[in-house]
Amino acid sequence: MANKKYRGIERKQARWGFLFVLPSMLFFSLFNFYPIINAFYTSFFDKRALSKLAPKFVGLGNYERLFRLSTAANPLSFYNSLRATLVFTLGTFIPLLVLSLILAVFISNLSNNRAKKFLQISYYAPAVLSSVVAATIWMIIFDPRGLGNQWVNGLLHTPGVDRRWLVDPVMEQVSTMIIYFWKYIGYFVILFITGLASIPPTIYEAAIIDGANKNQTFWRITLPLLKPTVVLVSVMAMLQCLKTFSTQYMIYTNGAPRAPINVITFNIYVTGIQQQYLGRASAMSVVLFIMMMLLTLLQFKTTKSENVDY
Amino acid sequence: MKKTLVILLLISLLLPLSLFAAGTKEDKVDESKPVTVNYWTHEDPARTKLETELIEQFMKENPNITVVRTTQSAVKQIELVQTAFAANQGPDMFNLPIENQYAYITNGRVAPVDYQAAGYKDKNDLLDKYMDGVLDTVTVGGEVYGLPLELTNWSIYINKKVFRSAGLDPEKDFPRTWEEMADVSEKLVIRDGDILVRRGFDFRYPYYLTFFVPMVEQLGGELLSADGKKAIIGDDAWIKALTFMQQWGPSGRNLGSPTYKNARNIFNQDNNDIAMAHTGLYQQGRIEQDNPDFFNSREWMVVPFPVFENAVRNVAACYYGHFFMVNADSDPAVQKAAWKLSAFLLSHGEEYLTRGGNIIQPTKALFASDTLKNMPYSQVFIDDMARAHMVYYGEDSSVIQTQIRYAVESVMLSGVSPEKALATLRAAVQEIIDEQ
Repeated sequence: MANKKYRGIERKQARWGFLFVLPSMLFFSLFNFYPIINAFYTSFFDKRALSKLAPKFVGLGNYERLFRLSTAANPLSFYNSLRATLVFTLGTFIPLLVLSLILAVFISNLSNNRAKKFLQISYYAPAVLSSVVAATIWMIIFDPRGLGNQWVNGLLHTPGVDRRWLVDPVMEQVSTMIIYFWKYIGYFVILFITGLASIPPTIYEAAIIDGANKNQTFWRITLPLLKPTVVLVSVMAMLQCLKTFSTQYMIYTNGAPRAPINVITFNIYVTGIQQQYLGRASAMSVVLFIMMMLLTLLQFKTTKSENVDY
Repeated sequence: MKKTLVILLLISLLLPLSLFAAGTKEDKVDESKPVTVNYWTHEDPARTKLETELIEQFMKENPNITVVRTTQSAVKQIELVQTAFAANQGPDMFNLPIENQYAYITNGRVAPVDYQAAGYKDKNDLLDKYMDGVLDTVTVGGEVYGLPLELTNWSIYINKKVFRSAGLDPEKDFPRTWEEMADVSEKLVIRDGDILVRRGFDFRYPYYLTFFVPMVEQLGGELLSADGKKAIIGDDAWIKALTFMQQWGPSGRNLGSPTYKNARNIFNQDNNDIAMAHTGLYQQGRIEQDNPDFFNSREWMVVPFPVFENAVRNVAACYYGHFFMVNADSDPAVQKAAWKLSAFLLSHGEEYLTRGGNIIQPTKALFASDTLKNMPYSQVFIDDMARAHMVYYGEDSSVIQTQIRYAVESVMLSGVSPEKALATLRAAVQEIIDEQ
């Protein structure tokens, strides 16, 4: 009888809980689930942005076109977008992960609190800058007469050499990686600092008493206990890199060639917005969605371990 | 209770149908009812100032019409209008470059001109007011779908001081051919190693349909066959034009590149950065605004668009237009008000030319006026326009321009051979045409 009464209260509380969660669930469904489902649905149709005619059902036609082997040689094909996305993700996500961890450890170990705060703000500042401001800064740097050439030539004592930051296909990809790295490193440093702060200092004190040096402390204590944060940051960084768009868009609109940096999201933009093929762009979005799901699952599986308790 | 509910439901379902039925019976639109016209256009400070004044005057004369004018950057405007129309939320009245606007006609998104509302007796009366052929671009199925806000072409602006500093006489030594353009630029260029500190001339990247296709046409090539079914006609012409661009770029004679600052913008500064830029009559207003001293010094001049030495056709850079168009899904009374507003604005052609951004509205009256003739170097633009044609404005023009951009920039910047770039371009453009 008492048990029944208890269950009744629980249900009542759950009902209230559900009511409180409902607005955000509706919001989330409207702005996340609906577009995802709609993109899946649209990907089976030949839908043009301006057409008033009913979209024509093409089954897997849009997907077949994306992966048609005869288009593989076209530098603006979807195959090239897959390549560009993978190169960008690997070239950005690994340095982001490693260097943000190193910087976070360095900042956390600083004894001067003002210096700590200053560095945190400095690293984070680019993340809050608007794309327009970032574009202006980097176009000044990458202009052939800009600071990029001046710095590198000054450093290497090679006056007058144009490093072709936005011209050479390899340099263009490196330039996008540098910009992205600059913009997001601060965000991941803050995440790591938060993770580091949650490790109880008593563990370090015990290790020091036991005679551990700094190197041993980092590899045996900090890194294992930071594993949940490392997994979180690596998943977030990878997903962010796969979704990169504004950096490539900014470079392209300033005159750089498209093919080397034609990542999937940029291809989606060009196909859907500029060329008006909404069905085809939706198929690309679905492929990107599946890629992101699979890579995230893989990452969770490979880094799965016991929970860390202090 | 249930019965009442059913009746109410039936009424709410049938009411719109009955209203629609009434509308079909009576086509007359109440032009005196209060309406709001949402007008979207691209940013241009001088035009904004003029149109704000004109719209105020228009609303005073037509108290039942409220006009809401919204501006965006030219690039953003193209995307915003398209996204809004895709969601059936397009503005009542808007303008875009014709190569982006034509698809709105073919997709039935815009309404034909309401001649009476715009103040014309009929279609012939409208055609009679404009320069011959100008409205052909927006005429589909015998109906005219837009009124031209501006018709623009580009010629070559020269900074005389930069010419003289290189020992050249601008009046005599200005380039008449593309070969001369490269040679004169070579004399004007100042380099720090590979880096161009001063350029002679640089192109108007990435508007390849406007300047590069005419260069190909000068050599006998075409973008499409006459029936529009075959892409890239005249391989020799295309290869020669692509080779010229390859030689222009950093891997050739290193005279310019799309990655340097926009030539048109830095020309106004008169900072010894560039000697020549490719731009329109409207640039004069911008020079005056950015650098009045340079504008008043008259140390600048305008010369015609060059041709290749062995050109088979004397073609200048294409002209392009922005047209006022009206949303076909807007309320009929709003459509009428929008056409009335368009015609009112366009009746101030001379003001647009002198203080509305120096834009040319291609009416016979304006072309015959002293105001246009007295604008510095206006005759150069008029003559260049006479040997030019409208930019390619087919439904997929922006996609085709992207492909041409890729071809030109791959030979200029990525070391791709003109032959390979042409093969890729042909395959891509043919596929675009076939899909249509």
